[in-house]
Amino acid sequence: MKNLILSMAALGISASAALAQNVAIITPFLAQPGTQAYVSAFEAEAKAKGWTVNVIDTAGDVAAVISRIEDSVTQKVDAIVINVDPAQVAAGLQTAADAKIPVIGMDAGADPLLVTNVTSNGYAMAAETSVYVANRIGGAGNVVMFVFDAFPPVQVRGAVADAVFANHPDITVLDRVTPDVQDGGIADSRAKMEAILAANPEPGSIKAVWAAWDQPALGALQAIEAAGRTGEGIVITGIDANPQAREAIAAGGNFEASMAQDFAGIGKATFAATADAIAGKTILSKVMYVPTVLITAGNAAQ
Amino acid sequence: MIPVLRHLGTLIGLLVIMLFFAAQLPDTFLTPRNLINISQQIAMLAVVAFTMTVVMVMNDFDLSVGSTASLAGIVAAVLFAMGVPIWVGVGAALAAGILGGLINGALVAFLGILPFVATLGTLTIFSGLAFFISGGETIFGRDIPKPFAEFARSGVPLDGVGLEGAQLPYLTIVAIATLALVWVTLEHTVFGRKLYAIGGNTEAARLAGIDVARARLAAFAITGFGAAVAGLMYASRVASANPTQGAGLMLDAIAAVFLGMTMGKQGEPRVLATLVGVLILGILDNGLTQMQVDSYVREMLVGSIVIAAVAISSLGRRA
Repeated sequence: MKNLILSMAALGISASAALAQNVAIITPFLAQPGTQAYVSAFEAEAKAKGWTVNVIDTAGDVAAVISRIEDSVTQKVDAIVINVDPAQVAAGLQTAADAKIPVIGMDAGADPLLVTNVTSNGYAMAAETSVYVANRIGGAGNVVMFVFDAFPPVQVRGAVADAVFANHPDITVLDRVTPDVQDGGIADSRAKMEAILAANPEPGSIKAVWAAWDQPALGALQAIEAAGRTGEGIVITGIDANPQAREAIAAGGNFEASMAQDFAGIGKATFAATADAIAGKTILSKVMYVPTVLITAGNAAQ
Repeated sequence: MIPVLRHLGTLIGLLVIMLFFAAQLPDTFLTPRNLINISQQIAMLAVVAFTMTVVMVMNDFDLSVGSTASLAGIVAAVLFAMGVPIWVGVGAALAAGILGGLINGALVAFLGILPFVATLGTLTIFSGLAFFISGGETIFGRDIPKPFAEFARSGVPLDGVGLEGAQLPYLTIVAIATLALVWVTLEHTVFGRKLYAIGGNTEAARLAGIDVARARLAAFAITGFGAAVAGLMYASRVASANPTQGAGLMLDAIAAVFLGMTMGKQGEPRVLATLVGVLILGILDNGLTQMQVDSYVREMLVGSIVIAAVAISSLGRRA
């Protein structure tokens, strides 16, 4: 009987612990639309479970993320969620690890000190758009690539597209352009594309433009429109499906496809991973991918 | 009552804030570990604010400290990436800070440009330079030497004073050393007295034989040096360098000096009073985070406290 009471009491304690968790989400990037979307989704899930979530925006200050991790550890939160490059906040992650408080990455980057990182699969996104391009042009013709190898998450996309195009013997990569991104990426991509169009004046000499993110795709679209070559059926694809890209895709012009990350899905999956980490479940994979969606004229407006 | 409030209002405010957090967070606020944490968290701001006090003593400003800090971090990181020894990278970064300060000082002292305008211009130039040198990228990972990143994570063990396992962070020690140096310079050297004389009345100081231009040049160089030190501390703490990472330091540093100025007899800046200002800002950040107060509410509170402190200190003066 005594044992029964004890175990019931223990159950009661663990149940209340499961109900009322105290979690800090710390990010320098809350002003970014993507970050807002997954933080909101996380909060919605947490609210339904009665958790307390403290969202801390350090407004671009990465060192302040370390400070706020330290404060959250002092406050003995049950878990910490970060949305920043973990290599830059390793000092804070170590503090949390010493206090045995789990830290989960929400689109953060993989790190041994993180329980796991929930994000979109850059390899898969690039594979989908590059295969889309290869199929649309019948596996033959000249392709212009816009890449940015200096930024690791974008470099991955370019590497995958290289492999897909190399696997089609009749596809030639005409140019592999790294645009200047200081101005946001559209203007310089447009200038580069105008030069390439001028160098290849024959209709059909350029079959497609594959861009590792949406801004160069939009720049290429502007260049093709300005050159009056929209009728040649040059296929353009981007990645990220930002609102401007969706609008261009929905309009039904040369910009045909992009990839949408499921930001709300990242928030929900991060919540699930956080709940598992607090419950002491083992999470084997250091990275968890949330599926992405190919956006074409059919679903761009959704 | 009013004179007491006027001079000690800000200090009383700090104590009230500390008592409030101690009552609200009895288990976690006044613990040695948390206080050590706070000292480390405010170290970068403290160094910038202490050295900012030097130019503000002359009623001048330096708006470029944030971009000087970013530039210093970038200079060191770019050199580290090229494989130079740590001391060379750190030395070059500090030299960049001093040079930046000398440029500010020359613009103000010799060309007679208002500090606000001169340092607004150099703010933009240094920021652009940081972007130019780094190609706009964050330099991190293998490019940053391990001992450089370890510096911000290490300290002097405090086992000897009964705090087993705790350590006094090196960042805190740098801030304390800066405080001591600036205090001695401002309060106990002829140079310091000259700066206060210039702040009191520039023309009278000139007529009294003080080389105002030279003093200004030196003061701005000190502020630039402090900004570079803070930039290196920041880069060590985040084990990386980014061309914008020091940007937040400037306004907080000026706010801290202003908070401190409310304690001066004539409203003049004193570096120990600046410390009170820095503590208020740092403790608010730490305590309100622990109390789970929205980060945007925190910002509004900080602004309100600066205004309230200055308003209280001007109460007596107006009467």
